[in-house]
Parts: sequence; C-alpha cells; structure tokens
Amino acid sequence: MTVFDILVNYHVAFLQGLGVTIKLCLIIWSVGIVGGIILGVAGAYRRRTWGRFIRGMSFGFSAIPTLVVLFWLHYPAQAAFNVVIDPFYTAAFTLSLVNIFGVGESVRQAIVDFPRQYILAGRVCGMTTPQIVRYIQLPILFRQLLPTMLIIQVSMLHASLFASLISVEEIFRVAQRINSAIYRPIEIYTALALFFLLVCLPINLSAAYLKKRYTRDMSER
Amino acid sequence: MLTAKNITFGYTGTPIIKDISLAIKPGEITVLIGPSGCGKTTLLRCLALLDRPQQGSIDIEDRTFAYPWPPEKEFVPPWPVVTTVFQSLFLWPHLTLRKNVLLPVRLRGTSDGMEKLNELIEAFDMKDFINRYPNEASLGQRQRVALARALMLRPRYLLLDEITSALDVEQISKILDFLKRLRGKDIGIFLITHLLGFARHAADQVLFMADGEIAESGGPEILKTPKTERLFQFLSVVAAAS
Repeated sequence: MTVFDILVNYHVAFLQGLGVTIKLCLIIWSVGIVGGIILGVAGAYRRRTWGRFIRGMSFGFSAIPTLVVLFWLHYPAQAAFNVVIDPFYTAAFTLSLVNIFGVGESVRQAIVDFPRQYILAGRVCGMTTPQIVRYIQLPILFRQLLPTMLIIQVSMLHASLFASLISVEEIFRVAQRINSAIYRPIEIYTALALFFLLVCLPINLSAAYLKKRYTRDMSER
Repeated sequence: MLTAKNITFGYTGTPIIKDISLAIKPGEITVLIGPSGCGKTTLLRCLALLDRPQQGSIDIEDRTFAYPWPPEKEFVPPWPVVTTVFQSLFLWPHLTLRKNVLLPVRLRGTSDGMEKLNELIEAFDMKDFINRYPNEASLGQRQRVALARALMLRPRYLLLDEITSALDVEQISKILDFLKRLRGKDIGIFLITHLLGFARHAADQVLFMADGEIAESGGPEILKTPKTERLFQFLSVVAAAS
C-alpha cells in the first residue's frame, strides 16, 4: 500500500483528525497570543510582580517537558479534584498555558529591552505618549517579535501531537490507529507529514508575507 | 529666553555639573566648548528638560521649572518649543529618513510640512538619500536628517550636541551657514561643538566648560584672548592637535 493509497482509503479519518488538530491549534494560538501579549505588557510595566511571575513560569514551562505537564493535568490533577474533563479541553488548556508564558516572556523581554532613545527622540519632537506607542514602539516591537512569535506558534503546532497521548482524537492519534490496523508505519507517517506540510504552508506563506511587508534588516551598515 | 539659574546635577551624590547659570537668547547662537567628559552633554540634557537637576531652576519663556521637582507635581516640558538633536541622533530605524522628518510634524497637524521639507532637502543637500532608511545612510547624512527633523518643528530653542562631528568640511560649512540664518528667524541656538572656527565667526556667546563648571564665558573674543588659565590651556591643546 502506497502513501497515495493510504491517503485515498483513510482520507475521512485523516481529515477528521486534522480537523481536531486545527481546532486545537486555533484555540492554543489565539489564547496564547492574546493572553501572552497582555501578560507580557503587564510583566514589562510591573517588573517586580508580574515580571518575575512570568519569568518564573516561562522558565518552568521551558524546563519541564510539555508532555509531563499534560499528564499532570490529565491524570493526577483530575483525580485530586475528583473531576473528569474531556481530554481535548485539558490539552487545549495545557498547551494554551505553555503558549501564553512563551509569548508573554518574549513580549516582556522585547518591551524591557526596547531602546529608550527612540522614545526620547519622540518626546523632544513633541509627540504624546499614545503617539509614541502607536508610531514608534508598536511598529518596532512588531518587527522584532514577528519571527519569534512564528517559531513559537509552529512549535505549538508540533506540541499538539502530545494530545494524542491523553486520547485526543487528533491527526497523530488517527495515524497511530490506522497503523495499528495495517502496520505500514513509513507510509502512514509520510502521509501525516504531508498533512503537517499542508497546515504549515499557509502559516509559512503568511509569515513570508508579513516578513516581507513589515520586517527589514535594521542593523547599521 | 531660556535661562538656567544655579543648576546642579549629578548621579548618586557626585555632581557632574555644578551651580551653572546661563541664558540662551532667541536669535543668538550660544556655543559650548570644553574637554571631553566635562559635563557638556549633561548640561544640554538638563536644559532640554530631559534630566532634572537636583538644584536650581530653568526658565523657558514664561514657564519656570524649579528643582528639586516635587514628585507629586506633573512635569510637562514644552517640547518641541525647546528641542534637541542628540549626538547619537536617534533616528527611528523602521521609517525612511523622509518619514523620520515628517512624522512628528504631521502628528502636530502642521499643513506646510512638505513645503518646509523640500526647503530643507535643498538646503542640506538631502535629495539623493532622503528615501533611504537610517541604516542605509552614512553618519553625515543622518546628522543632516536629524537636524532637519528638529527644524521642521519650528522650535524656539534648538539644542545641538556635536551635530557636525561626522560631516565633511563642505557639509559643515553648509549647516553652519544655515544655523547662522536661523538667527534671523529668532531661534535661539545652543551648540556643543569642537569647531572653534565656527565659534569665532558665528557665536554671539561662547561658554567654556571644565570640570562641571562654566570656567569662562563671553563673546567670541575669549577664544583669542582667554582670561583664565584653563581656557588658555584648552585652546593651546586644540591648536597643537590641529
């Protein structure tokens, strides 16, 4: 059975799995980016409280494997609180949390490291604080953060595979189930790779467009 | 008039400028000279209201900024009535040089921005590079743009920190001629420079700073016949170096 045969025969199952993966990622991306930006801004302006909290949490999530956090929240936490939560929501919550602190720390760091001289130049030119934020800080921060944000979001897409290990019927779990039935691992995982390429293509195209439109080498020549 | 009275500023108890008083009059060029590290830029930052002295006061037209400034009192400097061009220029890297010059003036709602910009492009010979980004222009080109950005705002007092350091002789001459013309527009210019020739020919007032103090001041004649030993030594060193 070739990769093409697998795609034809199991396309319904694959598309269902892909649908779950995309739904999961849309939640993780939107919650992570919005929450991360809010948290990052809070951390930059409240360095001793929110700033330290974000740094600590971000360090924790980068040091502890995401899979371990996922298992903690799926098995012991639910047992401790005597609740049963749909694994999809547990995965969405856990990965959103990881994304929030990843994005939050990047945003916090970018704001803290923002060159003050550009703000100063705006002030002596008579610009108000909202004008400086809108026309100077935000465009420069956006250009700085865009590549990092995209890398984090693609890594979150990859991390969504872990959801299969707590029984979320996403695309990797679908691939595993098909494999257990026909045992053609190379062809099945190649088909899986094609689906990931399909998902990543629009992300990469949008990234390329945004990079072309908004970023340029600003270093001194 | 922009007047500083007995201003003292320092970090952690060590004064960088000590008990300095001076006046910058509209339509006059005040040149500040002195050895490196004597506090010239710090003085400029205090006059531009970027740093707040521990003592003294600064009057700008009818407004008084008396120090120490009470922490609970709102500090609203009259920028860009008084504005500054920094030695490091601080052009915004994401905007072209043209947009760097136009952004502040557009945000102020000034209608004749393009006309004024064209005039400055002509005066500072910026036509060939005005559409480039700051990192695509030479330091000398950026210095001209930073000066143009400040001038677009029609300031009453213009504080300039070594803005000709990277220019060639021809460009220095053009810019300094332009500064001389600004006198006629009633703009008070405060210029930190090492160009003693310009100070001799164009300054209305020369201040010599050493060790955080104004060691000598007067008309350009003090550069020919210094009264203090310290200025004499400084001029001798500059003459020997050139």
